[in-house]
Amino acid sequence: MLRLVVRNLTKHKLRSLLTVGSLVVALFLLCILRTLVTTLEAGTQAAKSNRLWVQSAVSLFVDLPLAYEAKIDAVEGVEKTCKVQWFGAYYQNEDSFFGQFAVDGDTFLDMYPEVVIVAGSRAGFLANRIGCLVGKALAKKYKWEIGDRIPLIAALFQKDDGSAWDFELEGIYEVTEPVWDDRTFFFHWDYFEKTMEATTTGQPDVGTFVVQTRQGADQVPVMAAIDQLFEHGPQRVQSTTEADFQAQFVSMMGNIPFFVAAIGGGVLLAIFLACVNTMIMAAREQTRDIGIMKALGFTDRSMFGLLTLQSMTLCVTGGLLGIGLALLAEPWIAHGMGSFFPGFAITAGTRDLGIALTLGIGVLAGIVPAWQASRLRCVEALRSME
Amino acid sequence: MIRVQDLSKSYKRGGETLTVLDGLNLEMEAGRFYALMGPSGSGKTTLLNLVGGLDRPDAGELFVAGEDLGKISGAILAQWRADNVGFVFQGFNLIPVLTALENVALPLTLTPLSRSERRAHALHALELVGMQDRAHHRPKQLSGGQEQRVAIARAVVTDPQIILADEPTGDLDRDSAGQVLDLLVQLHRDLDKTILMVTHDPHAAERAQSIVHLDKGQLGRIEDTPRALAAGD
Repeated sequence: MLRLVVRNLTKHKLRSLLTVGSLVVALFLLCILRTLVTTLEAGTQAAKSNRLWVQSAVSLFVDLPLAYEAKIDAVEGVEKTCKVQWFGAYYQNEDSFFGQFAVDGDTFLDMYPEVVIVAGSRAGFLANRIGCLVGKALAKKYKWEIGDRIPLIAALFQKDDGSAWDFELEGIYEVTEPVWDDRTFFFHWDYFEKTMEATTTGQPDVGTFVVQTRQGADQVPVMAAIDQLFEHGPQRVQSTTEADFQAQFVSMMGNIPFFVAAIGGGVLLAIFLACVNTMIMAAREQTRDIGIMKALGFTDRSMFGLLTLQSMTLCVTGGLLGIGLALLAEPWIAHGMGSFFPGFAITAGTRDLGIALTLGIGVLAGIVPAWQASRLRCVEALRSME
Repeated sequence: MIRVQDLSKSYKRGGETLTVLDGLNLEMEAGRFYALMGPSGSGKTTLLNLVGGLDRPDAGELFVAGEDLGKISGAILAQWRADNVGFVFQGFNLIPVLTALENVALPLTLTPLSRSERRAHALHALELVGMQDRAHHRPKQLSGGQEQRVAIARAVVTDPQIILADEPTGDLDRDSAGQVLDLLVQLHRDLDKTILMVTHDPHAAERAQSIVHLDKGQLGRIEDTPRALAAGD
């Protein structure tokens, strides 16, 4: 029977290839699109419940006064505070761009146990005023090694003489959770602050504060207290949990899950209809064969099975190839996505959903022609060819 | 072997009821070669389809190989066909995507035989019809006569009691038709099959032992052929 299924499918090679090809594309797209959503959600899910982010109430792009740090530190329930400033420089040329942040190095590493130094050392990083930490993927991309000097050309925080900022690589990190990606560059706030103080710009402001609350502290009153503290300015703040802060980035891109679901659903529906069409055409062409087989003693049920198996074979071949292709392409896509989608990885859930949809399309696309084949009266089927 | 009593069958065509068999009574012996003749619309093919369990009667009794075919349907009727009947059609009706060997082996997939046994049986059937050297050819690579011989091999591969042939020589040239008729006569003689062959061709009919004449859905007459009379059958 399987041989007959395969022969029937390869009878019209082009049609079968086009159907399989469309399924490959559909399942590939589905896996990739859904992975964009799961990757965004993973960042939110990995966020620690004891970390808060404090940003300007106006916009994430408005900085906060440095003096806020001491006041936040004094709020009941706050254990420590880390300054974070987006640096926005580039390496060698403007195309060599990646995320860079000035942070309180020691506090940052305390707050983020998910950031694990795998080459160099924490002590080396903390001891070197111009020391920096870079993600493993970033170090690999630029072939940086511990001790390398890395000049960055500032776009936002320029020195008066326009010279590059010099850094020394003291540590390469990996992440155990996708709270940060492994393509980011961290350096000392002190170096940033002192260098800026020496320029005509003067003392820099702070992009955001990351606040770690004491163990067991209720975050709601802590956030309320921080927000209330600066209610009358000079710059009002908005405190959020780390999960909400991450989700904010997702929402900044629009309703991505809905958008992706709409595209994926549309693609699947179109492919499903194409598969139904293919199977109905195939079944119509096989009317004579079905009549012959029934005359030979094959039952209505076996004809139903034959057509369903044919549909399943076609769809499963295309679907599995699409899923396999997505898994194969995952490292390249993850590389291409860079910092936009840190931790891009096709989850087992996405893979299983793809398999389930493939099987579903296979069964549903085959069910109508299979039912028609099973209902076909032998004499009519034989007469139709005459 | 075949007992038909008050058998009726009608079809609806364009809102009109067309009575094809009208209270037909007929008996046929096991192991005999019958030719079924009559003008177009006399009910030859309808009778063949009913005897083969491809269609069901509207009224009357139809006993074939000990089974009342009017009372069974669905999977049981399908199994009965697989066990008792081999079909040879005018248009050969081989599955185009399968080779000659695979076509012949197809009915055997309904039996408990292993794959190698099925292959051996199918090869033997092809040998019987002189087509063993074309075992791996697809139908479109065969001539009409060769296709019909493969169809005959498929009809006998399960060793059924009855072979039903609907105009088996209708689409063939004279030489090929002669070969196919020789083959049917040989199968009847050597394997003792009951053969019921619909034909318009009096020469083809004379190769049978008896000719059943149908007219307007009723039995006209049954006559023995000169061949049968000469042989004392």
